[in-house]
Amino acid sequence: MAKAKVTFSDVNVTVNVSVGTRIIEISEAVGSYIAYNCREGDCGVCLFEVIKGKENMSAISKEEKAVLLARYQEIMDGWRATTDIDALQAKMQRENFIGKNCRLACQTQVFGDVVVAPL
Amino acid sequence: MTKSPVWLSERVQWIGALDSTMRSFDIILKTPNGTTYNAYAVRGSEGVAVIDTVKAECAEQFFEHLEAIARYDEIKVIVLNHLEPDHTGALPELMRRAPQAKLYISQSAQIMIKALLNQQDVDYISVGTGDTISLGDRTLKFLHTPYLHWPDTQCTYLEEECILFSGDVFGCHFCDERLFNDRVGDFRFAFEYYYAHIMRPFREHVINALELIAPLPINIIAPTHGPILRDKPTSYIQRYRELSGQRLQSEVNADEKTLLIFYISAYGSTSQMAQMIRNGAEQVPGVRASLYDMEGGDSDLFVDLVEDADGILIGSPTINGDAVKPAWDLVSSFAKINVKGKLAGAFGSFGWSGEAVRMLEDRMRGLKMRLPLEGVRIKLIPSSDELDQCRRYGQEAGEHLMGVNAPRVLDMADLLASRKQLSN
Repeated sequence: MAKAKVTFSDVNVTVNVSVGTRIIEISEAVGSYIAYNCREGDCGVCLFEVIKGKENMSAISKEEKAVLLARYQEIMDGWRATTDIDALQAKMQRENFIGKNCRLACQTQVFGDVVVAPL
Repeated sequence: MTKSPVWLSERVQWIGALDSTMRSFDIILKTPNGTTYNAYAVRGSEGVAVIDTVKAECAEQFFEHLEAIARYDEIKVIVLNHLEPDHTGALPELMRRAPQAKLYISQSAQIMIKALLNQQDVDYISVGTGDTISLGDRTLKFLHTPYLHWPDTQCTYLEEECILFSGDVFGCHFCDERLFNDRVGDFRFAFEYYYAHIMRPFREHVINALELIAPLPINIIAPTHGPILRDKPTSYIQRYRELSGQRLQSEVNADEKTLLIFYISAYGSTSQMAQMIRNGAEQVPGVRASLYDMEGGDSDLFVDLVEDADGILIGSPTINGDAVKPAWDLVSSFAKINVKGKLAGAFGSFGWSGEAVRMLEDRMRGLKMRLPLEGVRIKLIPSSDELDQCRRYGQEAGEHLMGVNAPRVLDMADLLASRKQLSN
């Protein structure tokens, strides 16, 4: 079966995996700092940053996108003070957060070499 | 049992349910006083909002209270601060009786609501911090307070009356039909117990939520369980602040990381290993390692230390093919706190089978701790080479903790195979 190299820059580990493997399965086995919780795309805890190789990952679903959006509101510093959710969402879209730099580890499969890190 | 709604103010009523006979909640909690499922109705000049509902078994009380103060066709808004079934049991029936009412849930509740109602095309509006709904002369404002104690949780604030509908936050299992904190029996133990078992694992989220709540003027806190806090409501916020803070000032510097090594030993071998692991970890600059013999304490004492620690290693011998009870008691106590993402590992000496180490590792991995290293297992008395192996293990654990470990290349198949083989 075709192979891919997945590098976790936080723990300095590279793993050779079969293509189609989900990031969460690998990050759990090597003890990366990518946290996780429900493992089914619901809670958004396993958010991670794609440093290299976003084109080598499975496409982002509508559901994953919705969870990412909710998570950004928590993460972005302004979320606690903001009163304008539309503006915040527009800002996140503008800054190309969704589907570009960040993904959910439980939803993302790898199809080629990638470098990832916890957010 | 009250059979009529209770007024919080001219426009706000309690329409919840009393469950005085319940003794065991969600399996993990005991209550000598039962509990209440608090739901509320807010009347504005342009319609009524229902905030949360009750457990399915108590729906009759809820609808009786609701019907006493409003007609179903007046209900414009249903707010769900938390989707757990003890607050949404009466929801399907409420939606049937008030089909025009719009459902307001948090952004993070969108997938859950479909699973809760078992339908894909649920009509709802998702809201976040700063979003408001107008009921004419009354305004509801939302606060995004996730993980208190589910991902979906939020609080709702009634601006004109400074009432915070806080969901499970500031709640407790205590049933007293007098309802208000200045009227009911002494419920302080229940408040503390509820925090310790429900909110404590989410300490960081509690701190974030308190920051969000802090600027709001508060007249009444109206939680979904237990007394309504109208007398000195801010003292309960203050108590949450204390409970979510650190107990005693830590003597560890900000640039240091703490590694706690727990062990228990039958003949001294696992104890010797623990000592060497500590020596190895201490070689890494910035690591503050501590040793604890589990025979001299219990998990209630240790769990407080674990809560503040960066890494935890557990040493157990193998007896009858298993780790020993004090080790399991310690790991079980982790459910009371948040250990996700903490570095973890296990080690131990054994006589002839040695399963304890892999079993402890699997359990801690299951608790979402990080296990970057395979723990050391030593047959009987550690030789000097084996003690050196322990020292290296301690050092590598320390390096991982400080983020200075050497790069490694691994094969996924080997990673999975070694784990499987060793646990068999």
